[in-house]
Amino acid sequence: MMDNVLDVKNLTMHYMTRKGPVFAVEDVSFSVGRGESVGLVGESGCGKTSIAISLLKLLPENADIKRGEIWLNSTDLVPLSESEVRKFRWRHISMVFQAAMNALNPVYTIEEQILEAMEQHMGYMSEREMDDKVDGLFDLVGLDPGFKDQYPHQYSGGMRQRAVIAMALSCDPDIIIADEPTTALDVIVQDQLLKRIRKIQEQLDMAMIYISHDVAVIAEVSDRVGVMYAGHMVEMAPTETIFHYPTHPYTIGLMSAFPSIVGEKTELVTLPGEPPDLLNPPPGCRFHPRCPYATGICKEKLPEFKEYEDRHYVACWHPGGEK
Amino acid sequence: MWKFLGKRLLQMLVTLLLFQAVTYFLIDAQPGDIADLLAMDPNIPPNERARLRAELGLDRPPVERFLTYIGNFYTGNLGVSFEEYPTKVIDIIKERLPRTLVLFVTASIVSFWTGFITGKVLAWRRGGFIEYASTITGVTLYTVFTPWFALMMIWLFAVKLDWLPAGKFLDPVEWLDAPITANLVFARMIWTALAGLVVMFAGFLLSNRVERRYRTGLRLASVLLPVGGVLLYWWDSGLALYGWDILSHLILPVLTVTAIAYGGMMLLTRTSMLETLREDYIMTARAKGLSEKVVRDKHAARNALLPVWTGLVFSIGGSISGGIITETMFSWPGIGLALLQAAQVADIPVAMGAFTLLGVMTLVSHLVADVGYAFLDPRIRYT
Amino acid sequence: MMTTDAKVTRVEYVPLWRVRLNLLLKSVRTNWALFAENPVGLVGLGVIIFFGLFALAHPILMNTVWEPRIYHPTMGYDMEIMAHPSGPSARHLLGTDPLGRDVLSQLMYSTRYEFVLGLLSAIVTVLIATTIGAVSAYYGGIVDTLLMRLVDLVIMVPFIPILIVMSSLMEVGMLELALIIGVLSGFGGTSIVVKSQALTVKVKPFIEAARIAGGGDAHIILKHLVPNLTPIALLYMMFVVTGAIFSEAVLSFFGLTTIEMSWGLMINVTQTQGYLMNFRTWYLLIPASLAITLLCAAFYLVGRALDEVVNPRLRRR
Repeated sequence: MMDNVLDVKNLTMHYMTRKGPVFAVEDVSFSVGRGESVGLVGESGCGKTSIAISLLKLLPENADIKRGEIWLNSTDLVPLSESEVRKFRWRHISMVFQAAMNALNPVYTIEEQILEAMEQHMGYMSEREMDDKVDGLFDLVGLDPGFKDQYPHQYSGGMRQRAVIAMALSCDPDIIIADEPTTALDVIVQDQLLKRIRKIQEQLDMAMIYISHDVAVIAEVSDRVGVMYAGHMVEMAPTETIFHYPTHPYTIGLMSAFPSIVGEKTELVTLPGEPPDLLNPPPGCRFHPRCPYATGICKEKLPEFKEYEDRHYVACWHPGGEK
Repeated sequence: MWKFLGKRLLQMLVTLLLFQAVTYFLIDAQPGDIADLLAMDPNIPPNERARLRAELGLDRPPVERFLTYIGNFYTGNLGVSFEEYPTKVIDIIKERLPRTLVLFVTASIVSFWTGFITGKVLAWRRGGFIEYASTITGVTLYTVFTPWFALMMIWLFAVKLDWLPAGKFLDPVEWLDAPITANLVFARMIWTALAGLVVMFAGFLLSNRVERRYRTGLRLASVLLPVGGVLLYWWDSGLALYGWDILSHLILPVLTVTAIAYGGMMLLTRTSMLETLREDYIMTARAKGLSEKVVRDKHAARNALLPVWTGLVFSIGGSISGGIITETMFSWPGIGLALLQAAQVADIPVAMGAFTLLGVMTLVSHLVADVGYAFLDPRIRYT
Repeated sequence: MMTTDAKVTRVEYVPLWRVRLNLLLKSVRTNWALFAENPVGLVGLGVIIFFGLFALAHPILMNTVWEPRIYHPTMGYDMEIMAHPSGPSARHLLGTDPLGRDVLSQLMYSTRYEFVLGLLSAIVTVLIATTIGAVSAYYGGIVDTLLMRLVDLVIMVPFIPILIVMSSLMEVGMLELALIIGVLSGFGGTSIVVKSQALTVKVKPFIEAARIAGGGDAHIILKHLVPNLTPIALLYMMFVVTGAIFSEAVLSFFGLTTIEMSWGLMINVTQTQGYLMNFRTWYLLIPASLAITLLCAAFYLVGRALDEVVNPRLRRR
């Protein structure tokens, strides 16, 4: 892969709980090129947010990266200590959190919080330059810079989301991770925001990982899509390919779950069963209990995540549903 | 902002009047004429008694009596003490109030500050021996039987180590040829201390507005200058020895009240921090690459402060109670001791006066705390 | 088709009371597990149980081993010892007080009154605070404003001064003390906390559902609102007990109560007889002080541990 901003190899992360280890992320590999937008899609609990916090090494006390490498430009973040990682956070890789409403500290103004990040990483800038940059960021996300000295509770939900995005962009990161940034908003605001995010990303030629459980949203913002299931990456391909030629049985089910408003009415396809309990995942391929094409080998051995076609990766013993 | 302040002030006044009404009628409801209670002290000669009755309006209908009482109260006439006839209650209060205030204010500020800092640091490290040890210490200080604790402090510092005096306001022997009264010396101590603190505070505020490289220097100056100035003043005035005598009697009571209040503050801060640490903006702060210390202090502690400040409001009552007990144990001649002694001999005017004053102190503290909270939480200010 | 037929299971008939019982037991077990996670709470509980046994042991001892003439807490007198107070000995494990009474007996005898006082105050507080909190939250408007002004008034003045003043106006015995403390606590900070909780419960959908189903105000308040306030009320009960025991001790120590025997009174006797600062008569001061401190602390610790049960955000993962 040439000129990749992010290269993730065999990332494995577990949580330790009272009842034992939860195998949240298992052997995930993918990469993000410069200016590329990669979408991560999957149900709740499939590991997408866990990957996100692993990339920034923002793990809670009971979580551990067990194996793997996270190459940000030319540095592997995994073996770095907390104080070393801090230099990379926000400056090279930043994040827009889920429920960004609460991601803002209620006792400081928006301006103060953005400047805080900039003072930390862009200390060479003068006060004047920083102020101008904040104004610029506000314009970029569609906020009136006159409001920058207000407090989070004075903003509406959509405004807060934009503010958080502005904050994430403030240090000109190489890659930004957006974890379900529009989930809590109404559809109209969501639409506006999505278009703006896509525009910003293309304008700044910035790499982005967009996480969502909403397949339609992913389709709108991503160049490539990765499908997550039960902690594994089961398929990854350019957006068109994923939608028109899904290969993994789970992806097939996912794509078919959307009724189309054009064309004939077809029966809605549903996936029976539920995602597995990650405390006690099933042996072999984690999808096999729900898979209509499952055979003996699926129950015993974990399929490898490998190239099926050009730039199209799948982890399945029977890709495309072949028996 | 000012509207908020004005509103609270008005509320306070109303509550104060209600409080006085309740207090007044509480006594009025006692068996026996309130006239008996307030004026029928056998120590008072009969013509004085008659004059008092008229002055205090004790032979009028209840509502008029109450209004007279209020009128008298706000013009400074609180009646005359039974025990120490003919000393006026207002004089007793004037003499004793500063002493209680110094005790209360110092203890509140110091215990809040130290309790908050300790609690903040302790919450950051969960589990392990430290957590249990600090919990035990905090709870012990919080629930220890105050008189016993005071006694232990006396025993340790005054008897065993003989570092500090065991009680009272001053050592009479030292003051035999003093040029001015103890109250005046004490008053001067308060003024110089306040002046010093104001300078220090101003200096710190200023230091936040100048550029980074001047900050430390300015802060150092704003601590050293006032301290130096105060010491110089006392040295020059020749009263240093008397000031020191009072100061040395002040230390142990303040330490006792502070230690007890500290426990509650520390525990509350820790609980509050633990709740705050679950908030999303803490993760954002860490994601921004800020150091642990900055996340802990600027983000977590700053928000954890809010419930702790509210807790401070609730603990004011406890501090005042603790102050009364401490004054008793150390024979520190303040309002609390006046109240207790008056109650023990049924000196109603003094008891009432002291009690009302304590109520006023509580009310004012509440007001300060409420206003302070508005400064701390922008959500209250701008809605 | 990727769907499969759902299996139909047979449902057994279980009587309603049994279902409720099982749910109750299950919640007790889970809550106990949560409570027990915190050793601090267990320590507190252990101390309370110890004192409970301590109190129970007294009548047993009085009726068996101890001769009332000598060991009675208020009227006993040991003539075989020359000088009172006397130090710990085989006859008197914690010595005798200046009036010749056995210290251990006094200690044990007082314990039951501490519990009674604490319990009584706490019950009064909970009744009042729950009523105020629920009514205030439910009705809002002028009712709320009036009640909250009243609460402000009560919070305004701290306990001890009020008790001191009351004692100068009337005779304060165990019952009066419990009532005063109960009322003051009930009208104080506790009701604010209960009201906050009631406000969060009030907006929950099931309250709306109850109203739509035709429930009257009283019915909703009593059957739906109040049960959800019980956990937090129970929690604050612990703190009221702490306050009650502490206040009684202070007041008795100052000699302002008419209670015939309590830990605070023991220390008061020590002081009036002039043995307070005397290190050699440590047994007159330390056991009583320790008892007060330990029991207060125990209830407080239990309260804090309950806090973790009631308030999930404080728990460790």
